[in-house]
Amino acid sequence: MNIIVCMKQVPDVTEVKFDEHGSMIRSGLPSIVNPNDKHAIEAALTLKEKYGGDVTVISMGPPQVEEALREALGMGCDNAIMVTDRKFAGADCWATAYTLGVAIQKIGTYDLVITGQEALDGNTAQVGPELADSLSLPLCSYALEVSIDDGKVHVLQNMGTVVRELEAPLPCLITADKAMNEPRVAPMDKIMEAYQKQIITWGFDDLQGNPDNFGLQGSPTRIRKIFSPKRAKAQVEFIDGTPAEAARKLVDKLKELNLL
Amino acid sequence: MDFNLSPLQKMIQKTTKDFCDKEVPKIDDYMAEHDDYPPDLLERFAKAKLLGMDIPKELGGTAGNNFNMILIAEEMAKTGTTATLPLFMNNSVAETIFFWGSDEIKEKFIPSLCDGSAWATMAFTEPGTGSDPRALTTTAELQGDEYIINGTKRFISMASKPGHGVFYVKDLSLEGSKADTTALIIDKETPGITFSDHYKLMGLEGSDTCDVFFKDVAVPKDNVLGEAGKGFKILLRWIAGERIQQAAGLVGTAQAALDEAVKYARQRIVGGAPLGMMQGFTWMIAEMKTKVDACRLMTYNTIMLQDGNKPFEVPSAELKVFVVPMVQDVCRMAVQIHGSYGYSKEYKVEKLFRYAMHGGIVASSIEINKTIAGQAYLAGKSP
Repeated sequence: MNIIVCMKQVPDVTEVKFDEHGSMIRSGLPSIVNPNDKHAIEAALTLKEKYGGDVTVISMGPPQVEEALREALGMGCDNAIMVTDRKFAGADCWATAYTLGVAIQKIGTYDLVITGQEALDGNTAQVGPELADSLSLPLCSYALEVSIDDGKVHVLQNMGTVVRELEAPLPCLITADKAMNEPRVAPMDKIMEAYQKQIITWGFDDLQGNPDNFGLQGSPTRIRKIFSPKRAKAQVEFIDGTPAEAARKLVDKLKELNLL
Repeated sequence: MDFNLSPLQKMIQKTTKDFCDKEVPKIDDYMAEHDDYPPDLLERFAKAKLLGMDIPKELGGTAGNNFNMILIAEEMAKTGTTATLPLFMNNSVAETIFFWGSDEIKEKFIPSLCDGSAWATMAFTEPGTGSDPRALTTTAELQGDEYIINGTKRFISMASKPGHGVFYVKDLSLEGSKADTTALIIDKETPGITFSDHYKLMGLEGSDTCDVFFKDVAVPKDNVLGEAGKGFKILLRWIAGERIQQAAGLVGTAQAALDEAVKYARQRIVGGAPLGMMQGFTWMIAEMKTKVDACRLMTYNTIMLQDGNKPFEVPSAELKVFVVPMVQDVCRMAVQIHGSYGYSKEYKVEKLFRYAMHGGIVASSIEINKTIAGQAYLAGKSP
């Protein structure tokens, strides 16, 4: 069972600051492994422990991505590939999926591709499905459970109020739901070993893809404006009466606002 | 000399923080409810490979170095958890056994300290002494292939937890000689060993600190660590390393207190402006930050001596002389900045302040360290 995990490095928005116009100040923000992608890594490592094989983690981004790849190696991934080139900069979801797809084709044979459900900084949830399309793979998104049997993958898919049971042939692409597992913390010895391992680096020349499909020029999406929504000032209303009366008034109020 | 952390060292800090974010709240909840360590605490450390940091992999360690250990110590101490104690102890006792022990002793006692199946202990203090080997009253009488131990050890951390520890005894077979302290590795479940209840301490809530009573306890003479009569030398080396770990932990405590103080000083509005903008508090923050930075650099400098196999016993005493009052002052100021809230158990700084107070007492008092450092300098033994 050879598995490829796609991972993104994102700004740690728990430490985000905003300027006087309400825009996110990105400079100086520490970078972290996209938390949802850690669920994808955990899923891959759990499957590897059960079925054997190798886990290869791949990430597209600037050279700082190496830090995130080292962490993934520390968690237990066997190989790491960094896809980096200035020509890949400015890629939207489609161009990112295309670039990752070309890189995955270069890897060769595999049984599963696993991604997180979405990235913390973009929240589009597009790259996984678009990557499946790019690689012509069946897609099982929002996976809560994954098992392999007789050359097929069985997935419980989280559809919010319902859970669907899916079956697909291998190879297949899965996006891991964040309720799927609790990602492990990398053990300290593996972290130390991770810094001894080689990370494969592929640039534009290595991928041999269509130049028109990479980076900003390959991106059909155009961002017109980024802004923070204005926050409405909350109004506080105190409810008088005994606890029972106040509770009743509160329930009535919530019903009035269609919140109950 | 380069104090900039490498990418690997930064990752060690981050990974420790990840471990703390995931595990420490669960550990602290258990300890608050049971006033004791979780039974699987060491297994959690072992799974994260936080034990045996500078022990070779063949013996179950992670083959790192002491610098890594102090990065871990600082990060974990930021949480204020008492669980740092067994983490430090299992690491430092394993290192001590590795340094002094024969191959047989190493193979017998180190792996279980690394895989978390044994709780380590280091026991010198007695009701009548905490630092003078001549005043020891716990005796070891050699009878055939065994020592028979009688006496009492006081304030022993992790004493009643299953595992083994290094116990320092007056070796009656060496009576009359200048050095009669022998270090014995003793299984704490050996018949004849009993324990007092846990002491209720000012800080370090839930720690298993108690007295250990020996009544005709038979210990194989093969369990001597190093050589008979060399026990005090072993203790001094161990405690020198422990002081550096402790200092790193205290730096973490102070950093956490500073972080809390800065957060509060930004949020608390007085007279229309954040509290921190009032000069008296601005200056407190400046003093706190400066002290934390200075303590951290001195800790790094001292651990680099240990990792470089240079003498570190006296520098680690100087480290303690410097760091303990600094850190206690930082925590005091953090409480002060919080005002009445700082005196309340609702706020983290109250716990950090009490935690910091152990620094001047546990793992050798600040006064004995002043004596070590001062006498060494007077004798021309300190650079």
